[in-house]
Amino acid sequence: MVVASAPRIELHGVSHRFGEFTAVRALDLVLEPGRIHAVIGENGAGKSTVLKLIAGLLRPSAGAVSIDGDVLAAGSPRAAMERGIGLVHQHFMLLEPFTALENVMLGAEPIRRNILGGMRFLDWIGALDFDAARAKAQALAADSGLDLDLDARVANLSVGEKQRLEILRILYRGARAILLDEPTAVLSPLEAAELYRTLRRLALRGHTIAVVTHRLDEVSRFADEVTAMRRGECVLREQLPPRHGRLDASAEASSQPEPEPSALILRLTRAVMGGDVPASAPKPPVAPGAAAVLELRDVSVRGVGTRRLDNVSLRVHTGEIVGIAGIEGNGQRELATALAGLLDIERGTILLDATSPFAGHNDAAARVRAARARGLITVLDDRHHDELLLDATVGDNLVVGDLGLADEALIQKRRFAIFAIEPRSPSRLASELSGGNQQKVVMARAFDRTRHSLDPSTNAAHQPRALVLDQPTRGVDVGTARILHDAIIGIAAAGAGVLVISADLNELRTLCHRIVVLREGGLVAELPPTASDEDIGRAMLGVADRSGREEAVA
Amino acid sequence: MSLFSLTTVGETLRIAAPYACAAVAGVWAERAGVVQIGLEAILLSSAFASVVGTLASGSAVVGVCAGIIMGVCLSAAHATLVHRTRIDAVVCGIAWNLLAYSGTRLGLRALYDSASNSPSIAAFRIGPTGNEGWQVLARVLCDPLSWLAFTAVVASPYVLNRTRLGLRIRAVGENPTAARAAGIDVGRTRLLALCISGAIGSLGGIHLAFDQHRFEAGMSAGRGFIALAAVVLSGWLPGRAALACVAFAFLEALQFVLQDIGQASKAITLAQMLPYAAVLVALGLGVGRRSAPGGLGRHAEN
Repeated sequence: MVVASAPRIELHGVSHRFGEFTAVRALDLVLEPGRIHAVIGENGAGKSTVLKLIAGLLRPSAGAVSIDGDVLAAGSPRAAMERGIGLVHQHFMLLEPFTALENVMLGAEPIRRNILGGMRFLDWIGALDFDAARAKAQALAADSGLDLDLDARVANLSVGEKQRLEILRILYRGARAILLDEPTAVLSPLEAAELYRTLRRLALRGHTIAVVTHRLDEVSRFADEVTAMRRGECVLREQLPPRHGRLDASAEASSQPEPEPSALILRLTRAVMGGDVPASAPKPPVAPGAAAVLELRDVSVRGVGTRRLDNVSLRVHTGEIVGIAGIEGNGQRELATALAGLLDIERGTILLDATSPFAGHNDAAARVRAARARGLITVLDDRHHDELLLDATVGDNLVVGDLGLADEALIQKRRFAIFAIEPRSPSRLASELSGGNQQKVVMARAFDRTRHSLDPSTNAAHQPRALVLDQPTRGVDVGTARILHDAIIGIAAAGAGVLVISADLNELRTLCHRIVVLREGGLVAELPPTASDEDIGRAMLGVADRSGREEAVA
Repeated sequence: MSLFSLTTVGETLRIAAPYACAAVAGVWAERAGVVQIGLEAILLSSAFASVVGTLASGSAVVGVCAGIIMGVCLSAAHATLVHRTRIDAVVCGIAWNLLAYSGTRLGLRALYDSASNSPSIAAFRIGPTGNEGWQVLARVLCDPLSWLAFTAVVASPYVLNRTRLGLRIRAVGENPTAARAAGIDVGRTRLLALCISGAIGSLGGIHLAFDQHRFEAGMSAGRGFIALAAVVLSGWLPGRAALACVAFAFLEALQFVLQDIGQASKAITLAQMLPYAAVLVALGLGVGRRSAPGGLGRHAEN
């Protein structure tokens, strides 16, 4: 805690190359104290690399990072930390089985001195002073409005709490410049707004804040200045009018959709995409009297811990896209895993075209296979854990489940082309792809299910009957998200029923014919896609809406 | 002689010491995220080094120091190899075990011109002689090595859970990438943990040799592997691992009791199986099934 004032961070002509690939090219950037600086761009534009360069995790190939005018020792995370720079990684760097407090103190642990006294050379084995750490952490948490149970195990914390813990942790280490990499990718809109409130409070205390994000609406609502990157270069830099920066409770409550922010968003979108965004495909209406493709009747499922799904009844008709909104952890994952066949159904029935897709199997693996064969395809939300073999090649990932078949190569080629996966080499490891391209791999597999079909002679058999997509574009850039959205609308137009679970309300509005809200494992409301954030948010939180009614879903 | 006499207690503690040291050594290594199946090598090589040290200097204390240095060096070499060259730690551990078996045999031949054992050593010889129950127990309780082993077992949970070093070791063992992001030097922390692991493990080897008053080829006789089973059984908790070893040692001590009672030889052979069968049953039942440290065998990534 030596750093008195927040550092001014400057990048001068900084470049970074990974092998032949230039992630960042001759970038100049200044981060001023007291301001929220947003860095936007598509996947692979070099945003995260910039943060890692500042935090000393990567060494610039050219140029230098300086803090308050002093050039920072290249590639030294410790040096950066000592200069008051703290990075919150996109994937949390938390120790799951440890308590929040242990995570907070790790690397800067206070030591009890009553036994060893001044024998500082023995500090490395000194007894941890949990009380001192707790007192300091609590003071910081109260000061910056980070509400957190310090004695909880990290594994039991929600995503929002983990995010707060990450911030508290770097504050604990004396960070005065806070860099956040995609902090809202995994947050619900409410949690995101809460996060920005915290960041604003920190900025007002003079901290330097830099946020990398995909979500352009966040930029217009919360940032003071924005840098747009494309292919490693800065393509746009803009100071935002101060009123966007004000985030007092009153200002936010009265935030009306103004013409200026949307013009700004359009400008930003053009900058990051390198041109105009193709308009989203219109979603055709559902034919009246369309047959139900996927039906849940009073389905109850027990998930992890206390999480469960209770008496959920839902119909998805042919050509229809139904959205599931809700605060994370209210049964979304249970719904998706149950439909995938991974969970035992306690009560109720799941029907695909009026018969059970699981063919009466008791074994999860057999259920998954049966559901796929029938054309009920589920994409789970955590692509790293549930969908991809990260250490296998992209090619193998595209045909996993179809490996060793005579036409494996053909299937692989076709799936590779569906979403134009970059780089165009099936022999790359899946872990080397950007998030957007990883998602393309996962989605290509779901959209083309040739080998699972029972009747390969008809063309329709190539397509899934029903698609269940849990967070289909989480952590994916605007361009890729648009491509995936168009494909989802297209497959529904071709007759499939689609269920989309998403934390992104804009996504649900774009895609869905209706939005149902999941809370505490039950479906509590059904809303049209035109519903406002506020209305959906109320249903998510369980606050009765203005007319006092809370609809049950048929 | 009954099953629960002072003799049984004394024998149990005597037998348990090498197992417990090896198991606690295993816990230290694996909590730091380094797979250590070379416990057998640590036991064997430190036993040999302690005997060589004692014979060369005439002092048991020098012997103990030699044994500890051997254990620390071997363990540190393991950590360094695995961290620097990213060799698979399992393969590396197997290599250490084979090397220790053959290396100590070579040493026996070279130094003492024997294929099976070293000349005998005096060791500490503290406490009463004789085979009465209280004498057996008293000898165990007077042995400085027993006390060193006991201290290591008792201090380990404290150091791992309540000190800066312990927190950092657990952190690199749980998630090396996250630990590095918190500014912790993963390689150095693991090296330190393995040095401690080696020192504790070597106490087991030294105990083994001093107990027999000589070194015998292959005298660790699979104890390192039993200790490894205890590590898994305990859920990587040092205290519980040591307790599992005591339970195992108790079953082994029963054999001597049965032998004394003079049962038919088949019964004795069956009894000799008992401890090993118990380990298999316990592992099968998943006693205390806890997950392994998350970063076991993993390196920090970018």
